[in-house]
Amino acid sequence: MSTDQQDDQGSEDSLVDVAEGIDHQVAMVMDLNKCIGCQTCTIACKSLWTEDGGSEYMYWNNVETKPGEGYPRGWEDSGGGWQSGEHSERQTGEIPDQEDYGRAWEFNHNEIMYEGSDEPLRPREGAEWGPNWDEDRGAGEYPNSYYFYLPRICNHCTHPSCVEACPRSALYKREEDGIVLVDQERCRGYRYCVEGCPYKKVYYNTVSKKSEKCIFCYPRLEGEGPDGETYAPACAEECPPQLRMVGFLDDEDGPIYKLVEEYEVALPLHPEFQTQPNVYYIPPFAPGQHTEDGETVDIDRIPRQYLRELFGDGVDEALDTIERERQRTRQGEDSELMDLLQDKNPAKQYRLGVFDDE
Amino acid sequence: MTSDAVRTAGLAAVLATLVLVSSVAAPLASARPAHEIPVTETERADLSQPAAAGWEDVPASDVALASAPSGVPNADDTTVETVHVQAARTDQRLFVRLEWDDATRDVSADDPRTFADAAAVQFPTNASARPPIAMGGPGNKVNVWFWSGATGSQELLAGGAGSTTAFQNPAIEANATHSGSGGNATWALVYSRPLNATGENRTALQTDGDLDVAFAVWNGSNGERAGQKAVSEWHYFPFGPGPQGPPYETLLWTVAGVAIVAVVGVTTFGIYRTREGN
Ligand code: SF4
Ligand code: SF4
Repeated sequence: MSTDQQDDQGSEDSLVDVAEGIDHQVAMVMDLNKCIGCQTCTIACKSLWTEDGGSEYMYWNNVETKPGEGYPRGWEDSGGGWQSGEHSERQTGEIPDQEDYGRAWEFNHNEIMYEGSDEPLRPREGAEWGPNWDEDRGAGEYPNSYYFYLPRICNHCTHPSCVEACPRSALYKREEDGIVLVDQERCRGYRYCVEGCPYKKVYYNTVSKKSEKCIFCYPRLEGEGPDGETYAPACAEECPPQLRMVGFLDDEDGPIYKLVEEYEVALPLHPEFQTQPNVYYIPPFAPGQHTEDGETVDIDRIPRQYLRELFGDGVDEALDTIERERQRTRQGEDSELMDLLQDKNPAKQYRLGVFDDE
Repeated sequence: MTSDAVRTAGLAAVLATLVLVSSVAAPLASARPAHEIPVTETERADLSQPAAAGWEDVPASDVALASAPSGVPNADDTTVETVHVQAARTDQRLFVRLEWDDATRDVSADDPRTFADAAAVQFPTNASARPPIAMGGPGNKVNVWFWSGATGSQELLAGGAGSTTAFQNPAIEANATHSGSGGNATWALVYSRPLNATGENRTALQTDGDLDVAFAVWNGSNGERAGQKAVSEWHYFPFGPGPQGPPYETLLWTVAGVAIVAVVGVTTFGIYRTREGN
């Protein structure tokens, strides 16, 4: 461990805008072109952190179909975040309704397994909405319909409006790595953080009467498991196509820094919320549109304007850069960017120990 | 004695009695300072339920409430405007009873959007200095008796907004009932605490002077929580020995009463003598 002074210098030297008072900032890049919507990440997270009473309805990691309502339903229009990049005035927000999150349904397992019922397996009652209710629906008309999957966790933002919304300072950004946490001792269940997060990634536990959120699996980062090894968050490690990179934004030798800061092909979700997320996405490509006869034409299948609404205006340049680099590799040239996006070497994909010796 | 003289003496006696009665009653009734909440000494051991027999004999003060100044969203949107406060003291416990209008009984916080009704009574931890009204200050803390319809009572310590922490071993009890319906529905809530409960940052109730006290009410169905609350100004419980109310006032009335009685007496005697002399 270093002294505070050295740490301060560390962040001053950095070219990256980490939050004030934070030594380093954890970050994640997700390549949306690889997501198959299998929900392995969702289940990995749920079985680790949100299986207890009061947290049944929570998915700290969820994967939703875009275009679509998302989880909780309509979260993109629920307010929160900041009014401008000055981060002085927050935007008012709403607490989602329980129905918009969806309830943990009860199923007729018992009747079917033990009582010989020949009903189909289904929720007992009142199943009218839930996470992924509109899965794979997407938008567009045959043969040019389209959708893609959007995995979401807390963005551990550089300007977290959830932290600012709490009148008790129960939420805070960890000094060592910028992970945003809810102090369970200080929380009194006021839920200003729930309404204040524009991504709706803080949840109210209906039994403990306190708020909870993604903790970026910090005990795994700290090697708190039985073998004492450092692991990336479970959602990343368990992902079958391994589409998530985990590391520090200010680790200038790491792939995250290169993708976000150098190539600018990894983009934050809804940058207009002004919280400056630290989860970044490689925007999705889709084949061009098809004519009635099945011919491919040079028209974007996923409307570019829709991608701009999700990832900001930087998406045009990001997609252009990726297309240019793809072209290079097609011609047999080297492309560092393509290597980064295909790299399966875990030592590079997860770079978590880089600042341990400070 | 002639019949005239008897009549005169009778009149004088009535006058004297009236004057004496008023000298005792006046300071209690009309001259009670606006922010004083009387504390009734009582023998009844158990007033801990809002409907307990005995509360009907304890005078109630109407305490005005207004939205607390606060930075939380919708801070000026509160619904409760008055809380009726009664206080009674046995030689063991202090009982404080609050009653306020609230059409809905909100006792659940088990849905993301529901908030419970709640109330609080706030005292300075150190009775000798009046803390800032909004949850005290860092060097001048407050001891809060909190009750929520969802989670029951909590004894809290605060030194400024956002600093509330719960006592590990609370000394208070609270019982509440919601009755009536619609526009006539009310919450009635009784807090009680042993007079001799001690502990760091716990307000001493065995005091001889006035004790500052303030009140807050939250209407859960209006989304009220944290700084979005209806609060009172500082009031005080006039603890201490002997008759209640400022003593000099009683003294003045007594002196005036005695003087009037004396004057009436002397006058009567004079008239009587004069008539007898005829
Ligand atoms: S995503 Fe929401 S909960 Fe997470 S840090 Fe940002 S504002 Fe806070
Ligand atoms: S585990 Fe990976 S591929 Fe599967 S849904 Fe999650 S992010 Fe997508």
